[in-house]
Amino acid sequence: MKDETMTRPVLRIENLCKSFGTTPVVTDVSFDVHPSEVIVIIGSSGTGKSTLLQCLNLLHLPTSGKIFLEDQEITAPGVNQDRVRRQMGMVFQEFNLFNHLTVLGNVTVGMTRVLGMPVKDAEKKAMNELERVGMADHRHKYPAQLSGGQKQRVGIARALGMSPKVMLFDEPTSALDPELTGEVLAVMQKLAAEGMTMIIVSHEMGFAREAADRVIFMENGRIEEQGPPDRMFTRPESERTRKFLSIITTGKAEPPSGSLGQDTL
Amino acid sequence: MLQFLLPGLGVTVSVTLIALCLGGCIGALMAVFRVYGNPVIKGLAASYSVVVRAVPVVVIIFILFFVISAFIDLSPFMSGAIALGFASGAYQTEIFRGAILSIPRGQMTAARGIGMSRAKAIRCIILPQAFRVAIPSLINEVTLVLKDSSLVFVIGVPELMRRAQYASASTMEPLLAFGTAACFYIVLTLTLSKALEAVEKRFAIQF
Repeated sequence: MKDETMTRPVLRIENLCKSFGTTPVVTDVSFDVHPSEVIVIIGSSGTGKSTLLQCLNLLHLPTSGKIFLEDQEITAPGVNQDRVRRQMGMVFQEFNLFNHLTVLGNVTVGMTRVLGMPVKDAEKKAMNELERVGMADHRHKYPAQLSGGQKQRVGIARALGMSPKVMLFDEPTSALDPELTGEVLAVMQKLAAEGMTMIIVSHEMGFAREAADRVIFMENGRIEEQGPPDRMFTRPESERTRKFLSIITTGKAEPPSGSLGQDTL
Repeated sequence: MLQFLLPGLGVTVSVTLIALCLGGCIGALMAVFRVYGNPVIKGLAASYSVVVRAVPVVVIIFILFFVISAFIDLSPFMSGAIALGFASGAYQTEIFRGAILSIPRGQMTAARGIGMSRAKAIRCIILPQAFRVAIPSLINEVTLVLKDSSLVFVIGVPELMRRAQYASASTMEPLLAFGTAACFYIVLTLTLSKALEAVEKRFAIQF
Protein backbone atom coordinates (compact mmCIF):
# COMPACT_ATOMS: atom_id res chain seq x y z
CA MET A 1 0.00 0.00 0.00
CA LYS A 2 1.85 2.98 -1.29
CA ASP A 3 1.11 6.25 0.46
CA GLU A 4 -2.28 5.08 1.57
CA THR A 5 -2.92 7.94 3.90
CA MET A 6 -1.80 10.64 1.49
CA THR A 7 -3.86 9.92 -1.61
CA ARG A 8 -7.54 9.64 -2.25
CA PRO A 9 -8.59 6.25 -3.59
CA VAL A 10 -9.13 5.65 -7.30
CA LEU A 11 -11.81 3.17 -6.44
CA ARG A 12 -13.79 2.83 -3.24
CA ILE A 13 -16.08 -0.13 -2.69
CA GLU A 14 -18.62 0.15 0.12
CA ASN A 15 -20.68 -2.81 1.36
CA LEU A 16 -21.00 -4.32 -2.09
CA CYS A 17 -23.47 -7.21 -2.39
CA LYS A 18 -24.42 -9.18 -5.46
CA SER A 19 -26.97 -11.99 -5.67
CA PHE A 20 -28.15 -13.95 -8.65
CA GLY A 21 -31.79 -14.61 -7.89
CA THR A 22 -31.78 -15.65 -4.25
CA THR A 23 -28.19 -16.93 -4.32
CA PRO A 24 -25.79 -14.45 -2.70
CA VAL A 25 -22.46 -14.45 -4.55
CA VAL A 26 -20.74 -11.39 -3.13
CA THR A 27 -21.58 -10.32 0.41
CA ASP A 28 -20.73 -7.02 2.07
CA VAL A 29 -17.38 -6.39 0.43
CA SER A 30 -15.63 -3.09 1.16
CA PHE A 31 -12.16 -1.91 0.22
CA ASP A 32 -10.31 1.05 -1.24
CA VAL A 33 -7.96 0.97 -4.19
CA HIS A 34 -5.26 3.62 -4.19
CA PRO A 35 -3.44 5.06 -7.19
CA SER A 36 -0.73 2.69 -8.50
CA GLU A 37 -1.80 0.00 -6.09
CA VAL A 38 -1.70 -3.60 -7.27
CA ILE A 39 -4.28 -5.79 -5.57
CA VAL A 40 -4.43 -9.53 -6.14
CA ILE A 41 -7.65 -11.27 -5.16
CA ILE A 42 -7.24 -14.95 -4.34
CA GLY A 43 -9.59 -17.65 -3.13
CA SER A 44 -11.11 -20.96 -4.19
CA SER A 45 -13.29 -21.28 -7.26
CA GLY A 46 -16.85 -20.10 -6.86
CA THR A 47 -16.16 -17.63 -4.07
CA GLY A 48 -17.34 -14.63 -6.07
CA LYS A 49 -13.97 -13.22 -7.13
CA SER A 50 -14.84 -12.86 -10.81
CA THR A 51 -18.35 -11.62 -10.03
CA LEU A 52 -16.86 -8.99 -7.73
CA LEU A 53 -14.51 -7.88 -10.51
CA GLN A 54 -17.34 -7.70 -13.05
CA CYS A 55 -19.37 -5.64 -10.58
CA LEU A 56 -16.58 -3.08 -10.35
CA ASN A 57 -17.00 -1.98 -13.98
CA LEU A 58 -20.75 -2.62 -13.90
CA LEU A 59 -20.73 -5.60 -16.26
CA HIS A 60 -22.82 -7.02 -13.42
CA LEU A 61 -24.95 -4.50 -11.57
CA PRO A 62 -24.48 -4.78 -7.79
CA THR A 63 -27.57 -5.75 -5.82
CA SER A 64 -26.65 -3.24 -3.13
CA GLY A 65 -23.72 -1.20 -1.94
CA LYS A 66 -21.80 1.65 -3.50
CA ILE A 67 -18.80 1.99 -5.78
CA PHE A 68 -16.95 5.27 -6.24
CA LEU A 69 -14.60 5.88 -9.15
CA GLU A 70 -12.49 8.78 -7.95
CA ASP A 71 -15.21 11.06 -6.58
CA GLN A 72 -18.13 9.87 -8.65
CA GLU A 73 -20.55 7.28 -7.34
CA ILE A 74 -20.90 4.99 -10.35
CA THR A 75 -23.63 2.91 -8.73
CA ALA A 76 -25.89 5.95 -8.44
CA PRO A 77 -29.04 5.87 -10.59
CA GLY A 78 -28.73 7.72 -13.88
CA VAL A 79 -24.98 7.20 -14.24
CA ASN A 80 -23.92 6.45 -17.82
CA GLN A 81 -22.53 2.95 -17.42
CA ASP A 82 -20.85 2.92 -20.84
CA ARG A 83 -18.91 6.01 -19.80
CA VAL A 84 -17.83 4.28 -16.58
CA ARG A 85 -16.60 1.18 -18.44
CA ARG A 86 -14.48 3.31 -20.78
CA GLN A 87 -12.43 4.36 -17.78
CA MET A 88 -11.70 0.83 -16.58
CA GLY A 89 -9.82 -1.69 -18.64
CA MET A 90 -10.87 -5.30 -18.39
CA VAL A 91 -8.86 -8.36 -19.36
CA PHE A 92 -10.73 -11.64 -19.63
CA GLN A 93 -9.78 -15.23 -18.88
CA GLU A 94 -10.93 -16.27 -22.37
CA PHE A 95 -9.23 -13.24 -24.05
CA ASN A 96 -12.42 -12.38 -26.01
CA LEU A 97 -10.51 -10.69 -28.81
CA PHE A 98 -12.75 -9.52 -31.64
CA ASN A 99 -12.28 -12.35 -34.13
CA HIS A 100 -13.03 -10.36 -37.28
CA LEU A 101 -10.48 -7.64 -36.55
CA THR A 102 -6.71 -7.71 -36.83
CA VAL A 103 -4.53 -7.21 -33.77
CA LEU A 104 -4.31 -3.52 -34.64
CA GLY A 105 -8.07 -3.35 -35.26
CA ASN A 106 -8.76 -4.90 -31.87
CA VAL A 107 -6.82 -2.16 -30.14
CA THR A 108 -8.09 0.75 -32.26
CA VAL A 109 -11.80 -0.13 -32.40
CA GLY A 110 -12.50 1.19 -28.90
CA MET A 111 -10.55 4.39 -29.50
CA THR A 112 -12.27 5.17 -32.81
CA ARG A 113 -15.78 3.87 -32.14
CA VAL A 114 -16.08 4.73 -28.44
CA LEU A 115 -13.74 7.65 -27.83
CA GLY A 116 -14.19 9.09 -31.33
CA MET A 117 -10.45 9.42 -31.98
CA PRO A 118 -9.31 9.96 -35.58
CA VAL A 119 -8.04 6.70 -37.13
CA LYS A 120 -4.46 7.99 -37.53
CA ASP A 121 -4.16 8.99 -33.87
CA ALA A 122 -5.79 5.76 -32.72
CA GLU A 123 -3.35 3.67 -34.76
CA LYS A 124 -0.42 5.60 -33.37
CA LYS A 125 -1.56 5.07 -29.80
CA ALA A 126 -2.42 1.44 -30.54
CA MET A 127 1.10 0.84 -31.84
CA ASN A 128 2.49 2.29 -28.60
CA GLU A 129 0.34 -0.07 -26.54
CA LEU A 130 1.24 -3.04 -28.74
CA GLU A 131 4.89 -2.09 -28.31
CA ARG A 132 4.34 -2.12 -24.56
CA VAL A 133 3.07 -5.71 -24.61
CA GLY A 134 5.54 -6.82 -27.25
CA MET A 135 2.97 -7.50 -29.97
CA ALA A 136 3.72 -4.68 -32.45
CA ASP A 137 5.19 -7.11 -35.01
CA HIS A 138 1.96 -9.09 -35.10
CA ARG A 139 -0.31 -6.11 -35.79
CA HIS A 140 -1.68 -7.44 -39.09
CA LYS A 141 -2.51 -10.91 -37.80
CA TYR A 142 -5.96 -12.11 -36.81
CA PRO A 143 -6.69 -13.54 -33.33
CA ALA A 144 -7.00 -17.07 -34.73
CA GLN A 145 -3.36 -16.84 -35.87
CA LEU A 146 -2.04 -16.10 -32.37
CA SER A 147 -1.07 -18.29 -29.42
CA GLY A 148 -2.99 -17.93 -26.17
CA GLY A 149 -0.29 -15.84 -24.53
CA GLN A 150 -0.13 -13.54 -27.55
CA LYS A 151 -3.93 -13.18 -27.55
CA GLN A 152 -3.91 -12.20 -23.91
CA ARG A 153 -1.19 -9.62 -24.47
CA VAL A 154 -3.33 -8.10 -27.24
CA GLY A 155 -6.25 -8.19 -24.80
CA ILE A 156 -4.15 -6.16 -22.39
CA ALA A 157 -3.15 -3.70 -25.14
CA ARG A 158 -6.82 -3.31 -26.12
CA ALA A 159 -7.69 -2.35 -22.55
CA LEU A 160 -4.67 -0.03 -22.23
CA GLY A 161 -5.69 1.77 -25.43
CA MET A 162 -8.62 3.30 -23.62
CA SER A 163 -6.21 4.93 -21.11
CA PRO A 164 -8.04 3.38 -18.16
CA LYS A 165 -7.80 4.64 -14.60
CA VAL A 166 -7.84 1.06 -13.31
CA MET A 167 -7.08 -2.25 -14.99
CA LEU A 168 -9.16 -5.27 -13.99
CA PHE A 169 -7.75 -8.72 -14.75
CA ASP A 170 -10.11 -11.69 -14.52
CA GLU A 171 -7.89 -14.78 -14.18
CA PRO A 172 -5.75 -13.61 -17.11
CA THR A 173 -3.56 -16.72 -17.21
CA SER A 174 -6.03 -19.45 -16.26
CA ALA A 175 -6.75 -20.44 -19.88
CA LEU A 176 -3.07 -20.63 -20.79
CA ASP A 177 -0.58 -23.47 -20.95
CA PRO A 178 1.96 -23.16 -18.15
CA GLU A 179 4.74 -22.19 -20.57
CA LEU A 180 2.65 -19.30 -21.90
CA THR A 181 1.65 -17.76 -18.56
CA GLY A 182 5.13 -16.30 -18.09
CA GLU A 183 4.92 -13.87 -21.01
CA VAL A 184 1.57 -12.53 -19.79
CA LEU A 185 2.69 -12.21 -16.18
CA ALA A 186 5.84 -10.39 -17.34
CA VAL A 187 3.70 -7.81 -19.14
CA MET A 188 1.53 -7.38 -16.05
CA GLN A 189 4.57 -6.99 -13.85
CA LYS A 190 5.89 -4.31 -16.19
CA LEU A 191 2.58 -2.43 -16.00
CA ALA A 192 2.65 -2.62 -12.23
CA ALA A 193 6.17 -1.23 -12.20
CA GLU A 194 5.02 1.61 -14.47
CA GLY A 195 2.48 2.62 -11.84
CA MET A 196 -0.74 1.24 -13.31
CA THR A 197 -3.51 0.68 -10.78
CA MET A 198 -4.48 -2.96 -11.07
CA ILE A 199 -6.94 -5.39 -9.53
CA ILE A 200 -6.18 -8.98 -10.45
CA VAL A 201 -8.11 -12.14 -9.78
CA SER A 202 -5.50 -14.86 -10.02
CA HIS A 203 -4.29 -18.22 -8.88
CA GLU A 204 -0.67 -17.27 -9.60
CA MET A 205 0.67 -17.11 -6.06
CA GLY A 206 4.22 -16.39 -7.22
CA PHE A 207 2.98 -13.36 -9.08
CA ALA A 208 0.88 -12.24 -6.12
CA ARG A 209 3.87 -12.52 -3.83
CA GLU A 210 6.13 -10.53 -6.15
CA ALA A 211 3.91 -7.89 -7.72
CA ALA A 212 1.06 -7.28 -5.29
CA ASP A 213 0.93 -4.43 -2.82
CA ARG A 214 -2.01 -6.11 -1.17
CA VAL A 215 -3.54 -9.56 -1.30
CA ILE A 216 -7.23 -10.06 -0.62
CA PHE A 217 -8.39 -13.57 0.27
CA MET A 218 -12.06 -14.17 -0.47
CA GLU A 219 -14.21 -16.98 0.79
CA ASN A 220 -17.97 -17.50 0.36
CA GLY A 221 -18.37 -14.07 -1.22
CA ARG A 222 -16.72 -12.23 1.67
CA ILE A 223 -13.28 -10.81 2.28
CA GLU A 224 -11.82 -13.27 4.76
CA GLU A 225 -8.49 -11.54 5.17
CA GLN A 226 -6.34 -8.96 3.43
CA GLY A 227 -2.86 -7.58 3.83
CA PRO A 228 0.58 -7.19 2.25
CA PRO A 229 1.70 -10.38 0.50
CA ASP A 230 4.69 -11.17 2.72
CA ARG A 231 2.47 -11.26 5.78
CA MET A 232 -0.43 -13.02 4.01
CA PHE A 233 1.82 -15.75 2.71
CA THR A 234 3.95 -16.25 5.80
CA ARG A 235 1.71 -15.42 8.76
CA PRO A 236 -1.94 -15.45 7.73
CA GLU A 237 -4.21 -14.60 10.64
CA SER A 238 -7.20 -16.59 9.50
CA GLU A 239 -7.28 -20.36 9.69
CA ARG A 240 -9.12 -20.53 6.33
CA THR A 241 -6.46 -18.42 4.62
CA ARG A 242 -3.77 -20.66 6.01
CA LYS A 243 -5.56 -23.78 4.76
CA PHE A 244 -6.14 -22.33 1.31
CA LEU A 245 -2.54 -21.23 0.94
CA SER A 246 -1.17 -24.56 2.05
CA ILE A 247 -3.30 -26.33 -0.55
CA ILE A 248 -2.27 -23.91 -3.27
CA THR A 249 1.44 -23.83 -2.47
CA THR A 250 1.97 -27.50 -1.76
CA GLY A 251 -0.44 -28.57 -4.46
CA LYS A 252 -2.24 -31.03 -2.21
CA ALA A 253 -5.12 -30.84 0.17
CA GLU A 254 -4.69 -31.57 3.83
CA PRO A 255 -6.18 -34.94 4.54
CA PRO A 256 -9.67 -34.68 5.91
CA SER A 257 -9.91 -35.53 9.59
CA GLY A 258 -10.06 -39.27 10.15
CA SER A 259 -8.23 -39.60 6.88
CA LEU A 260 -7.96 -42.67 4.80
CA GLY A 261 -4.83 -44.57 5.62
CA GLN A 262 -2.63 -45.62 2.75
CA ASP A 263 -3.55 -49.22 3.31
CA THR A 264 -7.14 -48.48 2.20
CA LEU A 265 -5.79 -47.99 -1.30
CA MET B 1 -36.23 -16.97 -79.30
CA LEU B 2 -33.52 -14.94 -77.56
CA GLN B 3 -35.03 -11.63 -78.60
CA PHE B 4 -38.24 -12.70 -76.85
CA LEU B 5 -36.60 -13.72 -73.62
CA LEU B 6 -33.67 -11.33 -73.17
CA PRO B 7 -35.74 -8.32 -72.01
CA GLY B 8 -37.23 -10.53 -69.30
CA LEU B 9 -33.79 -11.32 -67.99
CA GLY B 10 -33.24 -7.77 -66.76
CA VAL B 11 -36.64 -7.73 -65.05
CA THR B 12 -35.96 -11.05 -63.30
CA VAL B 13 -32.56 -9.86 -62.11
CA SER B 14 -33.90 -6.52 -60.82
CA VAL B 15 -36.86 -8.10 -59.04
CA THR B 16 -34.50 -10.59 -57.39
CA LEU B 17 -31.93 -8.01 -56.32
CA ILE B 18 -34.53 -5.61 -54.90
CA ALA B 19 -36.19 -8.47 -53.03
CA LEU B 20 -32.86 -9.71 -51.65
CA CYS B 21 -31.76 -6.28 -50.42
CA LEU B 22 -35.12 -5.57 -48.85
CA GLY B 23 -35.20 -9.05 -47.32
CA GLY B 24 -31.65 -8.63 -46.04
CA CYS B 25 -32.46 -5.35 -44.28
CA ILE B 26 -35.69 -6.74 -42.78
CA GLY B 27 -33.96 -10.00 -41.86
CA ALA B 28 -30.97 -8.41 -40.10
CA LEU B 29 -33.23 -6.01 -38.18
CA MET B 30 -35.75 -8.67 -37.16
CA ALA B 31 -32.94 -11.04 -36.12
CA VAL B 32 -31.47 -8.36 -33.85
CA PHE B 33 -34.96 -7.78 -32.42
CA ARG B 34 -35.44 -11.50 -31.87
CA VAL B 35 -32.15 -11.93 -30.04
CA TYR B 36 -31.72 -8.63 -28.19
CA GLY B 37 -35.21 -7.09 -28.07
CA ASN B 38 -37.45 -6.72 -25.05
CA PRO B 39 -40.19 -9.39 -24.78
CA VAL B 40 -42.72 -7.37 -26.80
CA ILE B 41 -40.35 -6.66 -29.68
CA LYS B 42 -39.09 -10.24 -29.57
CA GLY B 43 -42.66 -11.51 -29.85
CA LEU B 44 -43.52 -9.22 -32.75
CA ALA B 45 -40.40 -10.18 -34.70
CA ALA B 46 -41.01 -13.86 -34.02
CA SER B 47 -44.63 -13.63 -35.20
CA TYR B 48 -43.54 -11.91 -38.42
CA SER B 49 -41.11 -14.70 -39.16
CA VAL B 50 -43.53 -17.52 -38.27
CA VAL B 51 -46.58 -16.10 -40.07
CA VAL B 52 -44.82 -15.04 -43.25
CA ARG B 53 -43.03 -18.36 -43.60
CA ALA B 54 -46.36 -20.16 -43.19
CA VAL B 55 -48.04 -18.28 -46.07
CA PRO B 56 -47.32 -19.16 -49.73
CA VAL B 57 -45.38 -16.44 -51.49
CA VAL B 58 -48.06 -16.14 -54.18
CA VAL B 59 -50.62 -15.20 -51.53
CA ILE B 60 -48.34 -12.41 -50.30
CA ILE B 61 -47.87 -11.19 -53.87
CA PHE B 62 -51.65 -11.11 -54.42
CA ILE B 63 -52.31 -9.34 -51.12
CA LEU B 64 -49.77 -6.66 -51.93
CA PHE B 65 -50.93 -6.23 -55.53
CA PHE B 66 -54.70 -6.34 -55.06
CA VAL B 67 -55.16 -5.03 -51.52
CA ILE B 68 -52.27 -2.77 -50.54
CA SER B 69 -51.64 -1.20 -53.94
CA ALA B 70 -55.24 0.06 -53.80
CA PHE B 71 -54.02 2.48 -51.11
CA ILE B 72 -50.47 3.15 -52.26
CA ASP B 73 -49.60 3.56 -55.90
CA LEU B 74 -47.45 0.51 -56.68
CA SER B 75 -46.56 -0.79 -60.12
CA PRO B 76 -46.87 -4.56 -60.61
CA PHE B 77 -43.07 -4.65 -60.76
CA MET B 78 -42.66 -2.95 -57.36
CA SER B 79 -45.52 -4.93 -55.79
CA GLY B 80 -43.84 -8.15 -56.85
CA ALA B 81 -40.36 -7.13 -55.71
CA ILE B 82 -41.58 -5.88 -52.32
CA ALA B 83 -43.74 -8.98 -51.75
CA LEU B 84 -40.77 -11.24 -52.50
CA GLY B 85 -38.54 -9.14 -50.23
CA PHE B 86 -41.08 -9.29 -47.43
CA ALA B 87 -41.25 -13.08 -47.74
CA SER B 88 -37.47 -13.50 -48.01
CA GLY B 89 -37.05 -11.26 -44.97
CA ALA B 90 -38.72 -13.91 -42.83
CA TYR B 91 -36.28 -16.58 -43.97
CA GLN B 92 -33.33 -14.22 -43.64
CA THR B 93 -34.48 -13.41 -40.09
CA GLU B 94 -33.92 -17.04 -39.21
CA ILE B 95 -30.57 -17.15 -41.02
CA PHE B 96 -29.26 -14.05 -39.23
CA ARG B 97 -30.71 -15.13 -35.89
CA GLY B 98 -28.82 -18.41 -36.02
CA ALA B 99 -25.67 -16.57 -37.08
CA ILE B 100 -25.94 -14.04 -34.22
CA LEU B 101 -26.50 -16.82 -31.68
CA SER B 102 -23.37 -18.60 -32.93
CA ILE B 103 -21.15 -15.66 -31.92
CA PRO B 104 -19.58 -16.38 -28.50
CA ARG B 105 -21.02 -14.38 -25.59
CA GLY B 106 -17.57 -13.11 -24.69
CA GLN B 107 -17.57 -10.91 -27.79
CA MET B 108 -20.46 -8.87 -26.40
CA THR B 109 -18.93 -8.81 -22.90
CA ALA B 110 -15.61 -7.56 -24.26
CA ALA B 111 -17.31 -4.91 -26.41
CA ARG B 112 -19.27 -3.65 -23.38
CA GLY B 113 -16.03 -3.84 -21.37
CA ILE B 114 -14.39 -1.17 -23.53
CA GLY B 115 -17.42 1.05 -23.07
CA MET B 116 -19.49 0.31 -26.17
CA SER B 117 -23.24 0.66 -25.83
CA ARG B 118 -25.27 -2.44 -26.66
CA ALA B 119 -26.39 -0.98 -29.98
CA LYS B 120 -22.84 -0.10 -30.96
CA ALA B 121 -21.54 -3.51 -29.90
CA ILE B 122 -24.20 -5.18 -32.07
CA ARG B 123 -23.33 -2.95 -35.02
CA CYS B 124 -19.53 -2.97 -34.81
CA ILE B 125 -18.73 -6.36 -33.26
CA ILE B 126 -21.63 -8.83 -33.47
CA LEU B 127 -23.18 -8.18 -36.90
CA PRO B 128 -19.91 -8.10 -38.90
CA GLN B 129 -19.09 -11.55 -37.50
CA ALA B 130 -22.65 -12.85 -37.85
CA PHE B 131 -22.73 -11.74 -41.49
CA ARG B 132 -19.69 -13.89 -42.25
CA VAL B 133 -21.30 -16.89 -40.59
CA ALA B 134 -24.53 -16.29 -42.51
CA ILE B 135 -23.09 -16.15 -46.03
CA PRO B 136 -23.32 -19.87 -46.88
CA SER B 137 -27.01 -19.92 -45.89
CA LEU B 138 -27.57 -16.64 -47.72
CA ILE B 139 -26.24 -18.19 -50.93
CA ASN B 140 -29.00 -20.76 -50.64
CA GLU B 141 -31.58 -18.05 -49.99
CA VAL B 142 -30.41 -16.13 -53.07
CA THR B 143 -31.10 -19.10 -55.33
CA LEU B 144 -34.54 -19.57 -53.75
CA VAL B 145 -35.52 -15.94 -54.25
CA LEU B 146 -34.25 -16.00 -57.82
CA LYS B 147 -36.50 -18.93 -58.61
CA ASP B 148 -39.43 -17.46 -56.63
CA SER B 149 -39.17 -14.34 -58.77
CA SER B 150 -40.90 -16.34 -61.52
CA LEU B 151 -44.04 -16.13 -59.35
CA VAL B 152 -44.50 -12.42 -60.03
CA PHE B 153 -45.65 -13.37 -63.53
CA VAL B 154 -49.09 -13.96 -61.96
CA ILE B 155 -49.54 -10.19 -61.64
CA GLY B 156 -48.34 -9.53 -65.18
CA VAL B 157 -44.72 -8.47 -64.59
CA PRO B 158 -42.93 -9.18 -67.88
CA GLU B 159 -40.08 -11.20 -66.42
CA LEU B 160 -38.37 -14.26 -67.82
CA MET B 161 -41.20 -16.71 -67.17
CA ARG B 162 -43.91 -14.45 -68.60
CA ARG B 163 -41.80 -13.87 -71.70
CA ALA B 164 -41.21 -17.58 -72.10
CA GLN B 165 -44.95 -18.14 -72.01
CA TYR B 166 -45.52 -15.52 -74.74
CA ALA B 167 -42.78 -17.06 -76.81
CA SER B 168 -44.18 -20.54 -76.37
CA ALA B 169 -47.64 -19.39 -77.44
CA SER B 170 -46.51 -17.41 -80.47
CA THR B 171 -43.88 -19.82 -81.82
CA MET B 172 -45.70 -23.02 -80.84
CA GLU B 173 -42.40 -24.34 -79.51
CA PRO B 174 -42.89 -24.78 -75.74
CA LEU B 175 -39.82 -26.96 -75.29
CA LEU B 176 -37.52 -24.41 -76.88
CA ALA B 177 -39.16 -21.51 -75.00
CA PHE B 178 -39.19 -23.03 -71.54
CA GLY B 179 -35.91 -24.85 -72.10
CA THR B 180 -34.22 -21.54 -72.89
CA ALA B 181 -35.83 -19.98 -69.81
CA ALA B 182 -34.53 -22.87 -67.69
CA CYS B 183 -31.02 -22.33 -69.07
CA PHE B 184 -31.22 -18.64 -68.16
CA TYR B 185 -32.23 -19.53 -64.59
CA ILE B 186 -29.35 -21.97 -64.29
CA VAL B 187 -26.83 -19.39 -65.54
CA LEU B 188 -28.25 -16.70 -63.23
CA THR B 189 -28.25 -18.95 -60.19
CA LEU B 190 -24.67 -20.03 -60.76
CA THR B 191 -23.51 -16.46 -61.37
CA LEU B 192 -25.14 -15.09 -58.23
CA SER B 193 -23.83 -17.95 -56.05
CA LYS B 194 -20.33 -17.51 -57.43
CA ALA B 195 -20.50 -13.78 -56.72
CA LEU B 196 -21.50 -14.44 -53.12
CA GLU B 197 -18.84 -17.11 -52.73
CA ALA B 198 -16.32 -14.48 -53.78
CA VAL B 199 -17.70 -12.18 -51.07
CA GLU B 200 -17.42 -15.04 -48.58
CA LYS B 201 -13.75 -15.57 -49.50
CA ARG B 202 -13.00 -11.87 -49.42
CA PHE B 203 -14.31 -11.44 -45.87
CA ALA B 204 -13.34 -14.83 -44.47
CA ILE B 205 -11.64 -14.57 -41.09
CA GLN B 206 -8.09 -15.79 -41.57
CA PHE B 207 -6.82 -18.78 -39.69
